[in-house]
Amino acid sequence: MADDKDVLRDVWFGRIPTCFTLNPDEITEREAEPYYLLLPRVSYLPLVTDKVKKHFHKVMKAEDVEEMWFEYEGTPLKWHYPIGVLFDLHASNTVLPWSITVHFKSFPDRDLLHCPSNSIIEAHFMSSIKEADALKHKSQVVNDMQKKDHKQLWMGLQNDKFDQFWAMNRKLMEYPTEEGGFRYIPFRIYQALSERLFIQKLFRPVSPEGNTHTLGDLLKEMYPDALTNDGEQKRYQVLIHGIEPLLETPLQWLSEHLSHPDNFLHICAIPVPTD
Amino acid sequence: MDPGGASQRSGRSAETRWRGHIVRQLKHRDRSQNAMFQDLIRFYTQLLEKTNLTKRLLSRRPSAGGGASLSSLLQQNCQLKKTTGELAYQVVELQQQIRSKECVVQEQQARLQEEESRLTGVFDTHRVLRERVEQVEVENRTLKTEYDELLERQRWAESRLREEKVQEEHLLEDMMYMKKQAAALMNTRNERRSRARQATLQKELQTAARSKVTIDSPSSAPTSRSTSPKDGHQDESSRRTRGRLFRSASSPRNLGFFFPSLHLFDRKRRGHSVCLQEDQLFPVGVCLSARVPARALHVLEAHEEGINAVRFSFGSDLLATGGTDRVIKVWEVRAGSLTHRTTLDGSTEGITCVEFDPTGWKILAASYDRSALLWQLDASVPKVTLTGHSRKVTAARFTCVPHQVVTGSQDRTVRLWDLHRAACVQQVEAGSYCTDLVCSESSIISGHFDSKIRVWDPRAVSCVQELPAQGRVTSLDLSSDRRQLLSCCRDDCL
Repeated sequence: MADDKDVLRDVWFGRIPTCFTLNPDEITEREAEPYYLLLPRVSYLPLVTDKVKKHFHKVMKAEDVEEMWFEYEGTPLKWHYPIGVLFDLHASNTVLPWSITVHFKSFPDRDLLHCPSNSIIEAHFMSSIKEADALKHKSQVVNDMQKKDHKQLWMGLQNDKFDQFWAMNRKLMEYPTEEGGFRYIPFRIYQALSERLFIQKLFRPVSPEGNTHTLGDLLKEMYPDALTNDGEQKRYQVLIHGIEPLLETPLQWLSEHLSHPDNFLHICAIPVPTD
Repeated sequence: MDPGGASQRSGRSAETRWRGHIVRQLKHRDRSQNAMFQDLIRFYTQLLEKTNLTKRLLSRRPSAGGGASLSSLLQQNCQLKKTTGELAYQVVELQQQIRSKECVVQEQQARLQEEESRLTGVFDTHRVLRERVEQVEVENRTLKTEYDELLERQRWAESRLREEKVQEEHLLEDMMYMKKQAAALMNTRNERRSRARQATLQKELQTAARSKVTIDSPSSAPTSRSTSPKDGHQDESSRRTRGRLFRSASSPRNLGFFFPSLHLFDRKRRGHSVCLQEDQLFPVGVCLSARVPARALHVLEAHEEGINAVRFSFGSDLLATGGTDRVIKVWEVRAGSLTHRTTLDGSTEGITCVEFDPTGWKILAASYDRSALLWQLDASVPKVTLTGHSRKVTAARFTCVPHQVVTGSQDRTVRLWDLHRAACVQQVEAGSYCTDLVCSESSIISGHFDSKIRVWDPRAVSCVQELPAQGRVTSLDLSSDRRQLLSCCRDDCL
């Protein structure tokens, strides 16, 4: 469907305006200007922040530079979450642009993983894809792929090439028609106000009775708090790619169209802002 | 509407709802988060880069314009001078180089001009060649058209040839057919004639058998009766006439001889040929009785078709017969009966006339096939074939000169042949169709269709004498002393 293709396109080309500012604690030779950038929602921070790094390196002495990490309002940003998820989880409903503080010192080893090179990201990305395919097709599709096909997926993401990526990702989104969907939907529900990292369980796209499961069904099963009972005020926003899909939306369709490149449906449940 | 359809429709509308919702939200998200900031961020980045650049420039200038010591300045000055000198030297060097380069350039220009002139020359020749090519092409084209024409003509001619050939075949077929028809016709006619002939002959035979021949007793024969030498001769002539009559009536297959007169002669000699008896009887000069032969002594079916000519040999007891069946048969006459001795073939048509040479070893025959043929008795193929007449040859005789024969033909000529050369020696226009010939020592006598008997001198090739006859002369013979001539005419007279 043309609409579906447009949705895929919109999801892929989603951008977040970001303002990078240097942590004032950093030792600089002179004042560091903030750096503005449109970050792709589906990508990962270290993949797209080379320019930021360069920009701030100019004002710093080389010996003061350690591994760069980002922080938003005191929360270290995990690079292995897609950028869109980070934004939706921490900064939705705030004033744009998204202001991220850049650190070059005192890496928070407890909260963050080190990321010395892009190959680490690639490994993480590919393992996510494999995990998702294990849920969807018992890993059959991804195992049938060749090394270069894997590389094509990764290069598509790395170079922001929509067509290159989807030419291969299409295979991962196929399913036998008689089953009406994947075996399980690969999803993760992130909660802003929880110590738990995310909820990830097995959930079929079709109920045993043959009804298609919707987003509402999923939330009822996994995170009932996110739902609003009749007469109650809405407490949680359920964001996927920065939007709130209707709860009646079929889960299978969401998985096919609103998944991140790592083939997971990242759902953020955040409390409704109270002005 | 059934409920299923309704639910389906509601499902579809729900689908459009949630899908539309998502699409709308995405658009809204992009508008608020992306589009609004896109330009802003781009401009900011540009500005940042510019400021960085200016900053760098600004930061460099004070360091360059900083206070420098005089010594360093002097040093710089010295260095500058040195560099100036070097540069001047370089200038000179470069100028030299320029000059040399100019020389080279000039040289090259000259060469260029030369090449250009050559090029124009080449172009001229090229044009000339091209013209020639065009000319040749035109010639070629004309030749081609000519060739095509010729080809066309050849094709036409070939087609005509083919047509002609086909026509020829048709004609040939037609001819064959006609010939076949003609042959069939001839066969039927011959048969009819032969039947008629046989009938008449039978009748004649019957009459002959009925009329009792009065034969005198042999003892009284030798002394009585007339002694005219002509009688015997007459006998033979009459016999021949009969033969001729047979021929003119398309002779039957039976050969009949009438030898009644033999009984007049010596009994011992009975059965010998008439000629032989004559030769021996003539010097005696005695012939007891002369009578028209009325009885067939020996009847023999000799030929497959009609018999045209019969002749005894001069000396021996041989008889030659020639017929329309193209062969000559030689018979031995012994005791009044004929035994077949040899058959001579070689003629392609019927035989009209047969003659023995004086030695009795050669046989000359005239043929319908416009030739005369000479056989030797012991060879069945002809020794000499004399060709030249334009119609059938009716008579062929040996002359008194050895190795010379004379022939008469329907083409109104009489020809004299040399047997050694097998060639025509003389040719005489007789004026009329020659039916028979006889030869004496000095002349050739021919009987003609225009009722004339002509006497020729073979040496002068001229008609010596012309004797009128009462009718068409059919046959001629000469008496043995060669002084008397017997002719047989169509007016039924001798």
